[in-house]
Amino acid sequence: MVPDLLLEVQDLRVHFPVYGGLLSRRIGEVRAVDGISFRLRRGETFGLVGESGCGKTTVGKAVLNLVRPASGSVFFTPPGGEPVDLASLTRSGMRPLRAHIQMIFQDPYSSLNPRLSVSEIMSEPLRIHFPAMTPAERAERVAWLLGKVGLPPEAAAGCPHEFSGGQRQRIGIARALATRPSLIIADEPVSALDVSIQAQVLNLLQDLQEEFGLTTLFIAHDLSVVEHVCDRIAVMYLGSIVETGPAAEVFRAPLHPYTRALLSAIPRPSPGTPRRERILLTGEVPSALNQPSGCGFRTRCPIARPACAESRPALAERAPGHSAACPYST
Amino acid sequence: MPGPVKLLEIRGLRTWFELEEGTARAVDGVDLDVREGEVLGLVGESGCGKSVTALSILNLIPAPPGRIVSGEILFRGRDLLKLSRPELRAVRGGDIAMVFQEPMTSLNPVFTVGWQIEEAIRFHQGVGDRRELAARGVRLMGKLGIPDPERRRGAYPHELSGGMRQRVMIAMALACSPALLIADEPTTALDATLQAEILELMLRAKAESGDAAILLITHDLAVVAETCGRVAVMYAGRIQELADADPLFREPLHPYTRGLLDSLPRPGTGKGTRLRAIPGTVPRSLSWPSGCRFQTRCPLAQDRCRRVEPELAEVRPGRRVRCHLVGPEGRA
Repeated sequence: MVPDLLLEVQDLRVHFPVYGGLLSRRIGEVRAVDGISFRLRRGETFGLVGESGCGKTTVGKAVLNLVRPASGSVFFTPPGGEPVDLASLTRSGMRPLRAHIQMIFQDPYSSLNPRLSVSEIMSEPLRIHFPAMTPAERAERVAWLLGKVGLPPEAAAGCPHEFSGGQRQRIGIARALATRPSLIIADEPVSALDVSIQAQVLNLLQDLQEEFGLTTLFIAHDLSVVEHVCDRIAVMYLGSIVETGPAAEVFRAPLHPYTRALLSAIPRPSPGTPRRERILLTGEVPSALNQPSGCGFRTRCPIARPACAESRPALAERAPGHSAACPYST
Repeated sequence: MPGPVKLLEIRGLRTWFELEEGTARAVDGVDLDVREGEVLGLVGESGCGKSVTALSILNLIPAPPGRIVSGEILFRGRDLLKLSRPELRAVRGGDIAMVFQEPMTSLNPVFTVGWQIEEAIRFHQGVGDRRELAARGVRLMGKLGIPDPERRRGAYPHELSGGMRQRVMIAMALACSPALLIADEPTTALDATLQAEILELMLRAKAESGDAAILLITHDLAVVAETCGRVAVMYAGRIQELADADPLFREPLHPYTRGLLDSLPRPGTGKGTRLRAIPGTVPRSLSWPSGCRFQTRCPLAQDRCRRVEPELAEVRPGRRVRCHLVGPEGRA
């Protein structure tokens, strides 16, 4: 393994059973994540982008072992340790590692327990992962963390409903940082926030990443946000990665027809400026239950050919570190 | 020179909600005109009153707790707030149609989508012939990019995807060639590729079916930039800036408009650059700040801003700004 590698996901597959019919028998399975691989280097922000249903959230959950992969491995290197395959661990085997990997959720309204005070919400991970801490030490750590996310120490006594959406997201971020994780999985962390608040939280995430030396798996559908925060990105469609590379490269010179369509659809807040010619996709995203043969994108692809139905194209490197799964795009 | 024809004139609209904690003054003195055939964007963040403004136009405010406290809503000179229920029903879906964010809650789950589109035509235009109804419904569905409309006509809402349902909603709204279409976050729940397509189809269908004016309510400035001719920026229950889209995006005058645009990540800026966020949080409608409602977050606020609320003054032809610091020469 490369020395500065923090996370290496290899050929990850997650399948969900589908039940139906009179007796609710198993009638098939959804291949939500269909063989994806990527690596996260220490300190970088890696963006996983795609539209709803593409499997990006499931990847995040599978990394944390919150859903069981059908196959594949998720190697994580804890501080000062050897790489461990998280996918092979049991729940109890996973527990000591959870302190190192924390999640920030999309919805600041449902991800905080409404019955607990902010101090209780933030103390919980500390109690679990640092049982030796005294209550006074915990209180001190909570106040320090609140300061880091721009909230006053008095916030500790409040309950989630007393805070605005942006403030709740700050509390969620402080909770995620409580155990001093090395990897953050941020699943749509700003998409529920208003524009002016979104900018505050993006700035905060960027500052904390530098200060705490965090590595982030940033899952989002908003491409402008992804371009702004990520070093490298992977574009997902129907459970597969169709393109991956340095964020600036992918945005400047997208290779896969899906990436091109996706980028051309971003509305820009500057009328009259030249913009990418819009590529309208026809048809609908096929159901993951009933995937097309060959390339998953071919049913909507403007440059599809008969050969695309035969086999799924593999990711091929087209420029240093920049790969796409389409042999026909130029 | 005669000005553009005003289709809808909102005058001094106040819509308040009586809550346990007090009176929420969600819309608190809104003046806004919609001109024939234009696409006017009403933008603002959550809680600014933009959706309540839209609902007030058709008197769809749930009462209690809501109440239109004062104001006039003149549609072709007729005050919609003074109409009887049957008169209002004839206007809704006929002259003025509405599209909401979540189509599943506005479509009737027990009727086919074709029936629902045709029902609108039957009710408002008195078309009785079943074949003609079906043909018009199918034609509209086709215009909105619904594949195989003859077959989809018989589908129930739950059988369609979110994007297809939103197309059905728009088809239904345009079925009677309304003069005004109020679209409240019509594409917010949809994916980016679909959002672009549906907005484009909506504009094309509008042009082909009697050139309705569109009042587009959204939080997304980029969507406004790409679709609207004029823009009204709302904050804390009031319009803060009103201008043609091009000059507004090129040179936002109100500090809030500027703050909103600065908050957006720009293409090509890349990692490491900080966004210029607006500090603080949106005030609550239970107690708007004194003076200018943006003063608590405004980087330029002065003593006067804390005491006296500025008027929505015309600082240039066709451009209105509610700020003490903006004069005819631009910003102070």
